Amino acid sequence: MSDERRNASERVDINDEVLQWVTFKLDSETYGINVMQVQEVLRYTEIAPVPGAPVYVMGIINLRGNVVTVIDTRARFGLESAGITDNTRIVIIEADSQVIGILVDSVAEVVYLRASEIDVAPNVGNDESAKFIQGVSNREGELLILVDLNKLLSDDEWDELKQF
Amino acid sequence: MSKSLAASKKLMQSYLSELLNEDVEPKLAPQAKESSVLPVKEKQAQPLESLLNNASLLQVAQEVEEAVQTRPLSSAKASNKDLFEKPQVKTKHVKTIHNDAISPSIKSKAATKEPNVDVSVKKADEIKTRKSLGGFTESKPLSYRQGDFQAMFFEVAGLIIAVPLVELGGIHSNNKATPLMGKPDWFKGVMLHRDEKINVVDTALWVMPEKCDQALLSALNYQYIIMLNNSEWGLSAEKLIDTVTLKQEDVKWLDTPNKRPWLAGLVKNRMCALLDVDSLIKLLEKGANIKQD
Repeated sequence: MSDERRNASERVDINDEVLQWVTFKLDSETYGINVMQVQEVLRYTEIAPVPGAPVYVMGIINLRGNVVTVIDTRARFGLESAGITDNTRIVIIEADSQVIGILVDSVAEVVYLRASEIDVAPNVGNDESAKFIQGVSNREGELLILVDLNKLLSDDEWDELKQF
Repeated sequence: MSKSLAASKKLMQSYLSELLNEDVEPKLAPQAKESSVLPVKEKQAQPLESLLNNASLLQVAQEVEEAVQTRPLSSAKASNKDLFEKPQVKTKHVKTIHNDAISPSIKSKAATKEPNVDVSVKKADEIKTRKSLGGFTESKPLSYRQGDFQAMFFEVAGLIIAVPLVELGGIHSNNKATPLMGKPDWFKGVMLHRDEKINVVDTALWVMPEKCDQALLSALNYQYIIMLNNSEWGLSAEKLIDTVTLKQEDVKWLDTPNKRPWLAGLVKNRMCALLDVDSLIKLLEKGANIKQD
């Protein structure tokens, strides 16, 4: 292999960065969020509802003295609500310089994905929730839907959350 | 379930009759034109049969049917096995050939063969129209618009749909499709097949959303995914019927731009839609449904 070719292949490898994704389940689908945005994963604790809160807000929890708003992820993704089980978790994430919690059915694992393994989702549908999808990836014969947490809420909604 | 299927078949028949009737409307006889100015109530009361009787298409269809009886269609029932995993020819390899690799002798041969003269003359004489200036997209002529061609028929909720074999990308078994949030109802999801991601369309919901009630949807039993050309799009199908060689006159072609770009024509003896696959792909990529919403 010539030096030029070797350099070219090295350049490709550098661009093909490996990212870690925390995967969780909602309904029967698996979703992934960037590990860099995940602060911690909590067992389900009582979520105190807030009167007059937007529909996507389930309520608030007390996390070591800090109030954290918890988002109803199922409602946000257009899924039917489900009961709380032993596997239910609250994933504490940082997005748009705010710390919030997202309620998920269960947390699965941390996976490593190369950028080249991520495909764009088909660009159909004008629904607001279609924007959450950052990409899709084939993970051991199962489709992993990668979520862009920054787009989970609109700018106005992020501003609204700051008031909590 | 059989009752609901029969009902859906009946619905489909009327749906296709409406389709046929709608296309024929501009060609109606003068008395039919008069009927178009009737008040709405009277118009609705007018039986479908009388409209169809006026339609010149039926006469053509009858003539064709007579012709078919004397000279049977050369129908070839291809086994479905041939259709499975149809190898897709990719031209990528061809592109990797560089000019440098061609020997000088071949290069000179190629150069002598190139007819350059005509091109410049044509360009000079070219008349600029609104079409050539842009704004209009010229539709590529369909490859199967001359001579006999093969079409495969499949069934969805009692509706028979035909797809030209040359535009059939392959047929896969229907496996689990992962739904994606925020997508239209007709988008079933992404199905994984040998490391490929297939965008699966719920054909019934795409073709006839207004007729898809809960009963019909629950009765659907999709077995196959019909791949559209070389795209990532696949239509769900319940049954594969057969493959038939069609003559040009077996189809009522809809060559002029119309409000249903996905429809290449109507197969006369089966009263079913023949898909314009490339236009359908464009619609799907735009996220448009059959009404192009």
